[in-house]
Amino acid sequence: MELSEKLVRGEGRFVDDIQMPGMLYLGFARSQYARAKILKISGAHLTHKEVNFEVVEVGEGATEGGPTALSHPVLANGYVGYVGQPVAAVYSDDRYTAEDLIDSVEIEYEPLKAIVDPEESLKREAMYPGVRSNAIVDRYFGKEFTPDPSDIVIERRLVNRRIATNPIEPRGIVAAYDGNKLTVWVSTQSAHSIKEGLSEALKMEPDRIRVVQVDTGGAFGLKGGLFPEYVVACYLAMKERRPVKWIETRREHLLASRPGRGVVANLKLYAKRDGTITGLKGDVIVDNGAFTGGSGEFSPMFIARQLAGAYYLPNAHVRALSVLTNKAPQGPYRGAGRPEAMYFIERLVDGLADELKMDPVELRLINAAKETYTSPLGMQVEKSRAFLESAIKELDYEKYKEKENVGFAFLILYHATAGGESARIKVEDGRLKVWTGGNAHGQRHDIFIKTLLKEELGVSEDLVDALKGDTDQLQDGVGAWGSRSSMVLSSAVIVAARKIKEQIEKKHGKYTLKALLDGNWDEYEFFKYDKTESSLGANLVTADVDGYGRVRVKECLSYYDAGRVLDPDNARGQNAGGAVQGIGQTLSEELAFDEDGLPLITSISDAGVLSADLVPKFGIKFHKSESPLPSKAKGIGEAPTIGVPIALSRAIEKATGKLIVETPIKPEYLLPAGKD
Amino acid sequence: MVSKKNISITVNGEAKEAEVEPRMLLAHFLRDVVGLTGTHIGCDTTNCGACTVIMDGKAVKSCTILAVQANGRKILTIEGLSKGREKLHPVQQSFVDKHGLQCGYCTSGMILTSYWLLKNRKNVTEEEIRAAISGNLCRCTGYDNIVESIKDASKKMEEEGDPIEEHPEIKVRA
Amino acid sequence: MNPPTFEYFAPTGIDEVIDILAKYPGEAKILAGGQSIIPLLKSRISSIPYLVSLSEVKGLSYIDEGSEGVRIGAMTIDSDLENSDLVKKRFPILHDATEQLADPLVRNVGTIGGNLSHADPANDLPAVMIALGARFTLRGKGGSREVEAKDFFLDTFTTALEPEEVLTEINIPFWGKKSGGAYVKFKKNTWNFSVAAVAVQLELDGNRCRKAHIATTSVSPKSGRMEKAEKALIGAELNDHAISKAAAEVATSSEPVSDSYGPEEYKREILRRITREAINKALSRAGGN
Repeated sequence: MELSEKLVRGEGRFVDDIQMPGMLYLGFARSQYARAKILKISGAHLTHKEVNFEVVEVGEGATEGGPTALSHPVLANGYVGYVGQPVAAVYSDDRYTAEDLIDSVEIEYEPLKAIVDPEESLKREAMYPGVRSNAIVDRYFGKEFTPDPSDIVIERRLVNRRIATNPIEPRGIVAAYDGNKLTVWVSTQSAHSIKEGLSEALKMEPDRIRVVQVDTGGAFGLKGGLFPEYVVACYLAMKERRPVKWIETRREHLLASRPGRGVVANLKLYAKRDGTITGLKGDVIVDNGAFTGGSGEFSPMFIARQLAGAYYLPNAHVRALSVLTNKAPQGPYRGAGRPEAMYFIERLVDGLADELKMDPVELRLINAAKETYTSPLGMQVEKSRAFLESAIKELDYEKYKEKENVGFAFLILYHATAGGESARIKVEDGRLKVWTGGNAHGQRHDIFIKTLLKEELGVSEDLVDALKGDTDQLQDGVGAWGSRSSMVLSSAVIVAARKIKEQIEKKHGKYTLKALLDGNWDEYEFFKYDKTESSLGANLVTADVDGYGRVRVKECLSYYDAGRVLDPDNARGQNAGGAVQGIGQTLSEELAFDEDGLPLITSISDAGVLSADLVPKFGIKFHKSESPLPSKAKGIGEAPTIGVPIALSRAIEKATGKLIVETPIKPEYLLPAGKD
Repeated sequence: MVSKKNISITVNGEAKEAEVEPRMLLAHFLRDVVGLTGTHIGCDTTNCGACTVIMDGKAVKSCTILAVQANGRKILTIEGLSKGREKLHPVQQSFVDKHGLQCGYCTSGMILTSYWLLKNRKNVTEEEIRAAISGNLCRCTGYDNIVESIKDASKKMEEEGDPIEEHPEIKVRA
Repeated sequence: MNPPTFEYFAPTGIDEVIDILAKYPGEAKILAGGQSIIPLLKSRISSIPYLVSLSEVKGLSYIDEGSEGVRIGAMTIDSDLENSDLVKKRFPILHDATEQLADPLVRNVGTIGGNLSHADPANDLPAVMIALGARFTLRGKGGSREVEAKDFFLDTFTTALEPEEVLTEINIPFWGKKSGGAYVKFKKNTWNFSVAAVAVQLELDGNRCRKAHIATTSVSPKSGRMEKAEKALIGAELNDHAISKAAAEVATSSEPVSDSYGPEEYKREILRRITREAINKALSRAGGN
């Protein structure tokens, strides 16, 4: 049955749908404190004494290297660093009793003064003994330069506060062990990254671990890597020789998953009176959380390197920091550094336009890169002026400019193409089975895989089974993130298909569909790719703000370079879904904390996830400049989360006359002054 | 020890009897006892609507109803919409045709809320659709394709009728 | 998250309900629709040893028009109130509240009696009932008694209900010919509860205000009458000046606290503005200007 048909019948198979005889339900007693020493634990089944492992980074944004002093302990090792950190585990035959057992675990703490604000963290004592500074990353990009004294300076403190990824299906795993092999069924973006992480954490030979992806109910960056809870589930499955299930509750998700954003930038943009940008200086500070194992070691560099935006930036000197705080580790969330970087540069450009009393789009045209160049911060910026000219036309900017509170965003999206991707096509009994290293979790790769195989091999869609990730069926793989799958995953499928075609030609003299379907073929391709590709995009948003400071988004339009559009329906869906997340980031989504590091957000609604009645209809137009990859496509999945917050912030600025420097924008900030 | 209760709930036309703890949620009764896992659970706080089912003709959140409260009631789950028929229900078909789903996790709830809406309103407007699904969260689609699916389903139901019109648990409200 | 254990009773008669409540005084709680209690149990913030469901008790769901007013059974669900033409016509203030209450699916289960008995100052219906001057019928061991809505809400989650009493009926009196009301709710777009909401019910005498009831949601430990504000309206011609004065009174005499919904001063300012909006809307519905 086709995937969408299965799903609308309620016949998908998500991780919590798995039932096995003798299954244990795992639960975690979690820290109530943001920072404390643990004095005593009683009533728990498993503590750090027994489950003495650490989680190392895997997945999107992972850096190389083994465990460090800052690695996330699977269960707390005498110390807790954030509210929600797993301290001890309990288990039972049913989920209700497991929760009762969580309540019966008693943990004695000695609370310590929490470090909540990242900028304050730089001035505070080191969080851990033996650690010299709370800055776990502190690097400079670009070169010191002396600005022309006659240059205009736009100085801003810009903030993207923390957001929960909030896929509607929370995290979850089922683990089973037969005495030799550990099999894991998991909701994931990358079966291979889970396998690699488990192998490292449990110190087990990789070939004794099989990771199977089940239907995955959204992920948005969260489900790329391994989590402490997964390691405990596997440990318990091996210890008890019984299948073990752990399903995250939404409360746990809000406390202890890996939220995204959480970045502060203090930046100065220099420009000439004619609007030409001359340089950028300042710092970018990532709110890393209490341990490594998220993306905090990677994101400050990634953000700093992109700060030229799509512009020509001759000089830049940027300090990139990641700072320990008493919060859950920061992780990748749709865009993962891209939305932050573009937000910062674009807000500065809007600020410069106001200072110069210029039209912000006109100013963007002046500064758009006329030729492809490598910015002083290190990223290659593709020539962007011609694209911007067509975006202005296609989005009908001139029309809106006159009548509406309009915001415009100009962005460059760096695709995570480097690293390549794998695919395997196996033909037997007249059907094609396809496994890919990147695991779809709402992007519907199945649709474009079928389209491409029809093109390459002439095989009809109903003979193709696009299967979920399975490390026993596919020897290696990377993952579905970073707007990469339409580029490298699709290319791996194309190359694997072409290899089969070649074999058939070799054997039969020419390729025929009959030869394909009558034969047994099996081709694995790891499509190697070293380059980071990029594409340009623009967004236009109009909005009104009422007498209570309530924002109504009216138009939200995208113009993205998607190269060859593999699946237009899907591309439109990706755009609308990303745009709602972009509006959410701007207006409502935040994981807020009090001064003691206690989370203030306890539901998915309070976390700001928008419902259908609060968002407009979206529009997208495609610019189709083909990529150099075999699929000719360019990913757009993250583009709306980059462009929409920028354009919407500007539209609100126009509507209210108030300077917007933070997301989300607090409703009280937008409340207009009373008239009486 | 808390005493268990014997309950009987009609699920998709079939009586399902079981002895359950009073605290068991209807969602878990459907998933774990009856084995119908199309009803999903997405939040703890009655916000997301992934668990939506039809109870005595009304769309409700089955994670916020005790199984014992549903004793003697009639429940329609996503599996019941096309039960025993190869062909999809018009609402399901529209979600397939109009790309109204991506990851598929919120889909069961969205479809059942849509079905309830369309049983109650003809010529439904975009605003009515968005208000009706305001208790069902989707994080993938941005809602556009869901709204289009529901508009399409409205047409399909007008043209083809509702194959489960005679189904006892659905009360059509005037 | 799932509820902790509890004993469950689903008697078929109201007397039996009261017997069970009397047997476990203070430990037994009524389960109406459960849309507040079940989330509370699931959060495991509190536990309730004995739940007594009203779902099997017949005859508690009705909206009946009488000569003096409308009687509503405590188990009437919110969406029945929302869709009631009678409510829309006679008490638009109640229609305002029910169509904004939680979400459509919650309204299909949540009941008026549950919403009121829970006495959450962030629930919408307490303020509306106070503004309408409703009377509640409480059934207990010795029979029934009536309590005015304004005297029913004692504190956050605390009502005038004795441990063995049940709210069975809500009686809303008709107001005079030139009367009207409105409920204006201000919500941060996705949040579960309002930042502030206000219920205003007015009766006019010519172009002067004869009677005014004002009550608020989310900005005090309990919903109650805003008498100073009402005084600013009663006997006055409802011009901008009088309306502003009343709105300012509501803002100053409420007791909002700074929390994640916003700072105290912000809430007062919102309250002031929604009160103006609500009075104007009530006035126009009453056939004033």
